[in-house]
Amino acid sequence: MSRKFKLSTLALSSLLAFSPLSAYADLTIYNGQHKTATLALIDAFTEKTNIKVESRQGSSNELAHQIVEEGARSPADIIYTEESTPLIMLANKDLLAEIDEPALNNIPAEYRDADGYWVGLLARSRVMVYNKDLINADELPTSVYDLSDDKWKDKFAFIKTSGAFQKQLSAMIKIDGREKAKSWLESLKKNGKEYRNNKAAMDAVERGDIPFALINNYYWDNLAREQGADKLNSALYFMGTHDLGDLVTVSGAAILKSSKHQDEAQQFIAFATSEAGQQILTDNSAQYPLNPNVDTHGLKPFSELTPPNDTLDLGEYSDGKAAIELLQEVGLL
Amino acid sequence: MSSKAVIKQSRKPVPLGLMIPVILLVVLTSLPLLYIVLRAQEAGLSHAMSLIFRTRVYQLLLNTLQLLVTVTLISTLIGVASAWLIERTDLPKRKLFNALVTLPFAVPAFISSYSWISIFPQLEGFSGAVLVLTLCNYPLVHLPVAAALRGMDPALEETSRSLGFSRAQTFFKVLLPQLRPALLGGAILISLHMLAEFGALAFLNYETFTTAIFDQYYVAFDGASAAMLTLVLLILCVGVIGLEILLRGKHNHATQRQGSPGAQDQVILGWTKPWLLLAILLLITLAAGVPLAVIGYWLLSGSSSAFHGQEVLSALTTTLSFGFSGALLATVFALPLVFLAVRFQGRLANLAERLPYFIHSLPGLVIGLTLVFFAIRYAFFFYQTTPLLLIGYAMLFLPMAQSSIRATLMQIPPQLEEMARSLGKSAWRVFIRITLPLMAPGLGAGLALVFLQIMKELTATLLLRPTGIDTLATKVWEHTSNAEYGASAPYAALLILISGLPVYLLTMRSFTRNTA
Repeated sequence: MSRKFKLSTLALSSLLAFSPLSAYADLTIYNGQHKTATLALIDAFTEKTNIKVESRQGSSNELAHQIVEEGARSPADIIYTEESTPLIMLANKDLLAEIDEPALNNIPAEYRDADGYWVGLLARSRVMVYNKDLINADELPTSVYDLSDDKWKDKFAFIKTSGAFQKQLSAMIKIDGREKAKSWLESLKKNGKEYRNNKAAMDAVERGDIPFALINNYYWDNLAREQGADKLNSALYFMGTHDLGDLVTVSGAAILKSSKHQDEAQQFIAFATSEAGQQILTDNSAQYPLNPNVDTHGLKPFSELTPPNDTLDLGEYSDGKAAIELLQEVGLL
Repeated sequence: MSSKAVIKQSRKPVPLGLMIPVILLVVLTSLPLLYIVLRAQEAGLSHAMSLIFRTRVYQLLLNTLQLLVTVTLISTLIGVASAWLIERTDLPKRKLFNALVTLPFAVPAFISSYSWISIFPQLEGFSGAVLVLTLCNYPLVHLPVAAALRGMDPALEETSRSLGFSRAQTFFKVLLPQLRPALLGGAILISLHMLAEFGALAFLNYETFTTAIFDQYYVAFDGASAAMLTLVLLILCVGVIGLEILLRGKHNHATQRQGSPGAQDQVILGWTKPWLLLAILLLITLAAGVPLAVIGYWLLSGSSSAFHGQEVLSALTTTLSFGFSGALLATVFALPLVFLAVRFQGRLANLAERLPYFIHSLPGLVIGLTLVFFAIRYAFFFYQTTPLLLIGYAMLFLPMAQSSIRATLMQIPPQLEEMARSLGKSAWRVFIRITLPLMAPGLGAGLALVFLQIMKELTATLLLRPTGIDTLATKVWEHTSNAEYGASAPYAALLILISGLPVYLLTMRSFTRNTA
């Protein structure tokens, strides 16, 4: 019996001693983007370069703030986020390294940081997805501000935890001021139905639980690729009036200044912005590639989108702080 | 705790070796409180206050309490009714029903809600949450109440009936007071579950403090705001534990004579019998049948993705190794604490006994946030490592190891140890050579119980796991969050098979022995 005890103590101490301090990898990516596409990109990259990459899945904001907390000792080499917001926050805190030329040149200037601290990889558009049996496209609101009207009560879904939704809010604060944004948010809280994520809202519209939802284009585009657009009960609706509801947002990546694998990290970003990498990303996620030479296979052409003006750079509101504060003030967070 | 003078029984000085684990325990317990204080300090007192006293917190409080009270009440009613029906009436197949009624134990709540949501997506919000969580939790009342009913002394009831009291009067005046400890114990557990539940409520789209804390962390990583919500949640947890101490009051007031099963008189059900039988069958179908059938259906149809054998296997081995090492750690930590509590009197012994229950009542999410916070600041070499995750597990599930070990140690007379000591053996040797071997069954049961709890753990695991590591629970969470029901089925099924069923068998066994 005592031998058993000694054995188990031995086993325990060895377990604690030898348990890996973290899984071994050349590169660690904090990934806030959709897992499937990122993993496909990583696999192709490893095949090409033999560099082993490990990704830590989380929400973009959570991972970015984690990096701030971790400081110079952060295990992350690269952060890849759903929106540019967290990247701008990290750049402002001087935690990012400059990205090298070849990668930067793959992406048009308006979709990357002017100083080269982060680079956009994919774009996505805010849309309304609506159920064709419950509502006609011509009855849908022509501006997001119409949603303040009580006639839309319980007719639409929104996702307060979505980074793109928050970006929309930041853009609203920048363009129309904090007060207007606040009263819009209050009316949304009153009239809209909260869902936990874009996918859940997409499915609810498709099933006919709710007439329409404010989400990103690729949730519907992905479903349409899987099942065929004509077989779906739902469709995409763009207002086409340069309204905030058609906001285009940028998802991007950055290299951490504290990374001990600068060279490998640069290689990864170069690959992610190259035609091959961009093709993988768009094929696996139905988001718009930012490298102009890549085929998007049936997404609404990027050139036909009508985003609101002056919303690619949100200036002082681009770190998302004001939007979060507003959400807390209104009592949604 | 009362400030009565401690009765002087064998006031041996506590050896230093036993003090260290208790000090460690005190440190670990104070971490969540420290985390809140430090975060509040970072934010500044006025900002911290404004984060606590706002409409949102009031709304969450309402939501959380509403859910807690409703689910606890309905679960308790169902649990008492099902226990009484099965134990005290002439319904057929008593043993079979007893087993089936407690089958929901085999399905973790977040898997159960995923199964419901995947077939009835409209089932969300308050009513959906109440339905699903009640069906998950009523066995926590049914089991102890059924055991208490079996262990009761029939003489009391017979006396009451012979004095001319009706059956109903007897139930309320004689039975119910005797059931109180069992019933309360179960109800308190359910209440704490409601405070800690995350996964199920996330699927069911119902906000409580725990989901709101997660959102804060997820969206804003607003340390201060998450911490202030945590503070309110902590107060609620302490409130529930305090309530238990208040309600428990004096210990059982009935003599526990072992009435052999069958000695109690059985109620002969008349025309109600088929209806009650139907009710029990309906309960079993909803609580156990639906989740198991739905997981089975998704497993077979597996439409949302191909079967990833490699991924399933690696999640399985990770889960098993986490479970095993975490259970070992918890048991090794629990041993000296139990020893202290059983063999010594005084404040330290009380602390060793009580504190783990306080930590255990905290949601895994809070333990996760706390450990991340301290690891980043003061122990970076621990950050995102398996040992830190194991420490989290040990903290969360310490009481389970303790209660199993305690039961066996109580049965070992201290005279045995004293005799060995008088023969000149060192205390340590006596412990290793005599006490420990005698405790083996308790150690084994404790290990098993903690192991099975760890397998189901979700929120602390999400926060603390090493990069690139997944467990069965995190895989279920990941896939179901994206509505990939087929893809999460293999993980969910494995989780039920290797954690649910053993837990179920363990609980069944421990309650069906005729001891209340």
